Amino acid sequence: MASMNMIQALNSAMDIMLGKDPSVVLMGEDIGYFGGVFRATEGLQRKYGEHRVIDTPIAEGGIVATAIGMSINGLRPVAEIQFADYIYPGFDQIVSELARIRYRSAGDFFAPVTIRTPCGGGIRGGQTHSQSPEGIFTHVSGIKVVMPSNPFDAKGLLITCIEDDDPVVFFEPKRLYNGPFDGDPNKPAVPWSTHAKGQVDEGYYKVPLGKADIVRAGTAVSIITYGTMVHVAAAAAAAMSVDAEIIDLRSLVPLDVDTICTSVKKTGRCVVAHEATRFSGFGAEILSIVQEECFWDLEAPIMRVTGWDTPYPHAFEWEYFPGQARVQAALKAVLEPA
Amino acid sequence: MSQFIFKMPDLGEGTVDAEIVAWHTKPGDVVTEDQLIVEVMTDKAAVEVPAPVSGRVVSVTGAPGDKIAVGSPLIVFELADGSAGVAAAAPAATLRPAPALPPAPTPPPAAAPPPAAAPPPAAARPPRPAPFEATGTAAQAVAAVAPAVSAAAPMRQGRVMTSPANRRRAREAGIDLASVAGSGPGGRILRADLESSALRDAVADTAHTTEIKVIGLRRLIAERMSEAKRTIPHFAYVEEVDVTELESLRMHLNHSRPKESGSLSYLPLVVMALTRVLESFPQCNVLYDAARGVLVRHRAMHVGIATQTPDGLKVPVVRNAHTLGLWELAAEIRRLAERARSNKATREELVGSTITVTSLGKLGGIASTPIINAPEVAIIGLNKAVERPVVHQGAVVVRRIMNLSSSFDHRFVDGYDAAAMIQALKERLEHPATIFIPTVKAP
Repeated sequence: MASMNMIQALNSAMDIMLGKDPSVVLMGEDIGYFGGVFRATEGLQRKYGEHRVIDTPIAEGGIVATAIGMSINGLRPVAEIQFADYIYPGFDQIVSELARIRYRSAGDFFAPVTIRTPCGGGIRGGQTHSQSPEGIFTHVSGIKVVMPSNPFDAKGLLITCIEDDDPVVFFEPKRLYNGPFDGDPNKPAVPWSTHAKGQVDEGYYKVPLGKADIVRAGTAVSIITYGTMVHVAAAAAAAMSVDAEIIDLRSLVPLDVDTICTSVKKTGRCVVAHEATRFSGFGAEILSIVQEECFWDLEAPIMRVTGWDTPYPHAFEWEYFPGQARVQAALKAVLEPA
Repeated sequence: MSQFIFKMPDLGEGTVDAEIVAWHTKPGDVVTEDQLIVEVMTDKAAVEVPAPVSGRVVSVTGAPGDKIAVGSPLIVFELADGSAGVAAAAPAATLRPAPALPPAPTPPPAAAPPPAAAPPPAAARPPRPAPFEATGTAAQAVAAVAPAVSAAAPMRQGRVMTSPANRRRAREAGIDLASVAGSGPGGRILRADLESSALRDAVADTAHTTEIKVIGLRRLIAERMSEAKRTIPHFAYVEEVDVTELESLRMHLNHSRPKESGSLSYLPLVVMALTRVLESFPQCNVLYDAARGVLVRHRAMHVGIATQTPDGLKVPVVRNAHTLGLWELAAEIRRLAERARSNKATREELVGSTITVTSLGKLGGIASTPIINAPEVAIIGLNKAVERPVVHQGAVVVRRIMNLSSSFDHRFVDGYDAAAMIQALKERLEHPATIFIPTVKAP
């Protein structure tokens, strides 16, 4: 075990897979010579060569399309889109091609592509470097959608995704790259070395998709969340001394419905939290499932804590970001006697 | 369109309220005049109330079991166009509005011409409509009509508010959420409300019980029984009566009369004997007026006959029993019992007794402690007549014995007098011919 931040953990995952499987290739803008804008691929081109770790032009549609072609022909590409905010030029390729190769060819072809992309705010990135578009992809049949909340899961999940024979969009909450973030921007940054999940196995291991992590067991309320909000929600509940059960989904598709519903049936109360915008957000899907599966166990209406339905602002980042106060307001509402 | 508010009528003898027994209409129904709309109950009789007008029912007030004060709105009708705006002006003495009055062809509001007797201001459609009553004196219909009145009658409450989890808990525990008072915001039922309710009901194990609201006749019986038992110091007296002779007379009379006239039971014989005896014991044929602190002795003997009906105990009254012959008594008792059982007895047939006789017939048992039918002061109970070995004229023989179990209001009837009265009754019953001999008045 070694203390790693999320970048190092991801780097380790790719390093291991490049070494383990000669069909694995990395591709993306500035990932090779430069080692990635967040340093996630640092040293890998030097170690595995330019034919395994490929610098691409600034053309996300082309990156995805090329990855699709490579994957159908037997490679296992890991494409990086530098920011999720820039994934849209590749969106048509993802939705119309990548997601449907297996279906359209009746199983003759498949596309083991992993698209890594940093997402989320809290880094003063403004509207072009802060988005959380995961809900757009969970809506597309044929794509798996993953978002880790810590270095240990990040590495294990990425290895699982690379080995998966079907396409995955792998979102990396960039505010968590260097340390867990509880939503308070005024506190000094905390490194991952202080966090249990910052201890990462240096070797090969997998974290399965479709298996949520119960970050904290509790009885009063279930907080269903993922990514950065896992840490915000935990801090908010702790500050209120609420015995919350905090569930980190880790993968949105496939979704661990069992863990969610077991928890909600136990607590009878549910808050769903994500950074992404509210309307038609992924939280709405969780609400629907909880309502369908757990209706007769609900003590209170299910609440959502989300970003506002606006572009991500630059100047008012902390008004936009769904911090502890908003989580606590939701907790207060669902914890009213019922 | 205009509305017609039908108020709870005075059902006679100054009743102040009446209890709803059953609705035969509901909001939205269209009813025609004289159609049965509601059954109500005053302190003794059930009354079927007919619709005073034809129209659509807008709202009704009160659920079965609720007591509605006389004169308060009972039901609101919406009348067809043209009938009620004019009917509103019906003269005060009219029982029902006259829907036949021709609708004025779009009269200017202030000029709507009322019939002569009506006070014009009310008929002239005031901007803020005020109820305008036409009061009748008869028991049938006290009608009030208002032009387009936004009538009282609160609408039914909406859904019970509570969480899905509480709905499930209630369902599993067999709790009717409608019966649980909610203490949460806006009356929302909280889990704590449910649990206190469940705790209350746990004793009764609601999952395996049925709840019956104590309403109508049952509530009346309950109230009257409690009141009588609580306020009257009952003095019970049991005596055995040799009815061998009475039985042989009864058998003889039954054989000598045509079958269709009905067979004679002990009851008319006992009632007849009682009326004879009461002449000498006027302190037992008394109604106690507690409000005035007065004992009202009655010369007339109105004998209540405790009667079991499908709805419960009723006490129809044989009026002026002392004036009736044996067969008249038998017929009257039979008639009243039948009317009580079929719920046809009028209020007059169910009130005004001065003493009551109760008989359980074949279920009569050995002894009982009947509860006095207040404000009376005595009740005579008949137990079962059975053949028993008794010592009679120095020998053990089989005789037919019937016990009389009676209760007296010990405040007003002393034990000595009570015992003497029962002994006098026993004398008459054991020597049946004396039943038919008028009491010899003391000089």
